[in-house]
Amino acid sequence: MASRILSIFHRGTQSGRFIHDFKYWAFTFATWIPAVIFFNGHVGEVTWINGPSMYPFLNTSFNEGLSKDVCWTSKWSPTTDLKRGMIVSFRSPSNPETIAIKRIIAVEGDTVFTRAPYPLPTVQIPYNHVWVEGDNRDANKTLDSNTYGPISMNLIQGKVTHVLWPWKSIGPIRWQEFKGRTRVIRRRNDDITPRW
Amino acid sequence: MTIFQRAFRPFKYIKHRYVGHHFRVLSAALKTVLLGHVFVEYGYWAGACQGPSMLPTIEVYGDWVLVSKAYRRGRGIKIGDLVQFDSVVEPGVKVVKTVLGMEGDYVLRNSPGTNDEMLQIPQGHCWVVGDNLDASRDSRMFGPMPMALIEGKVIAKVLPWNERRWIENGLKPVE
Repeated sequence: MASRILSIFHRGTQSGRFIHDFKYWAFTFATWIPAVIFFNGHVGEVTWINGPSMYPFLNTSFNEGLSKDVCWTSKWSPTTDLKRGMIVSFRSPSNPETIAIKRIIAVEGDTVFTRAPYPLPTVQIPYNHVWVEGDNRDANKTLDSNTYGPISMNLIQGKVTHVLWPWKSIGPIRWQEFKGRTRVIRRRNDDITPRW
Repeated sequence: MTIFQRAFRPFKYIKHRYVGHHFRVLSAALKTVLLGHVFVEYGYWAGACQGPSMLPTIEVYGDWVLVSKAYRRGRGIKIGDLVQFDSVVEPGVKVVKTVLGMEGDYVLRNSPGTNDEMLQIPQGHCWVVGDNLDASRDSRMFGPMPMALIEGKVIAKVLPWNERRWIENGLKPVE
C-alpha cells in the first residue's frame, strides 16, 4: 500500500513527472528571489504614492478617486549628489516602518524659514542633513521636516526619478524646474561640501 | 545501484548541468552572491570594529562582532542593548553604541556632572551613547537618533576567538 502511494513520486509515472517538473521550476523560481530583493533594494523599485502630501505634483487627483500615482525610485547611491528640489524616499524618522516621499527644500549649511509646528522661526541645516517638505500648501496634509526637523542623509533610500502613471504626467521628473515657496537662504559656497 | 554510485550522483548531475554551460555557471555564481547579500542584509553580519568609543565593551582595534539584523529599524530593541546603525552625521559609516533611552523617555542632554538639562525623546527615536563617554560622538552631540537608522543588534563578540562571548543586556531587573 505504502509503495503504491509513494509511486506517485516515481519519475516514470505521469504524476511523478509533474511533481519532478514542479519541484524543478519552484526551485529555479526561488533562486531568483534574492536577485529581486537586491534589485529592489539597491537598483530601483516601482513605488505607489500614498496620500496627498505631494499634491499637486504627485497624486494630482487624490480627491477624485482611489487611483495612485506610480513612480520609479532609483536606489543606486541614494545619499550622493542630493540637490534642492529632488524628490526622495526615506524612512520616516517618527515612524521607522513607513517610507515617506518628500521634496528636498534645503541641504546642509542652508538656513530655512520654518512653518507652524516647528518650534523655531529659522533653522540652519546641520552637516549631512537635509530639509524635506511635501508640496501640499495645506500644512495639515503633509508630515515633514516642519514636524521632525532636518533628517539625516542616511535615512534616504532612493530618489524618485520618473513618473510611470498616470498617462498624462508620464516621464522623467524635472526637479531642476522646481520653485519652492519656502524661504531658503542658500549656503555661501555651493561648491564646497562642509565636512564633519 | 551501489552505494558508491548513489553517493556520486549529485556530482554527476552538477557535471552534466554546468560543464560547458557558461551562462548557467555565471548565473549560478551571481545568484549565490546575491543570496549571500540577502543573508547579510536580513540575517546576520559579522565584521571588525574600531575606535575607542565603546571601551571597555569593544576594544579599540581588532574586535569582531556578530550583528543580528532581525532587530533592524529598532524592532524589539530595549534600553541597554548594543545597536549597530548608520551614522547620523556621516553617510556610509556604521557605528555601534549603547541604547540609553527609547521614545518618550527623559534623558540627560549632556554627560553626567556637566549640566542638568533634560529632554524627552520624540516618537520613533532613541538615545544612543558610547560606553566610553570621553571619546564618543553620540546622541549628546547629534541629539535623538531615528530608529530607522538601526541596522541590527550586536549579539556577540566573535574575535579574538579566546575572548568570544554573547553580549547580553547589562540591565537586569533587581531580584
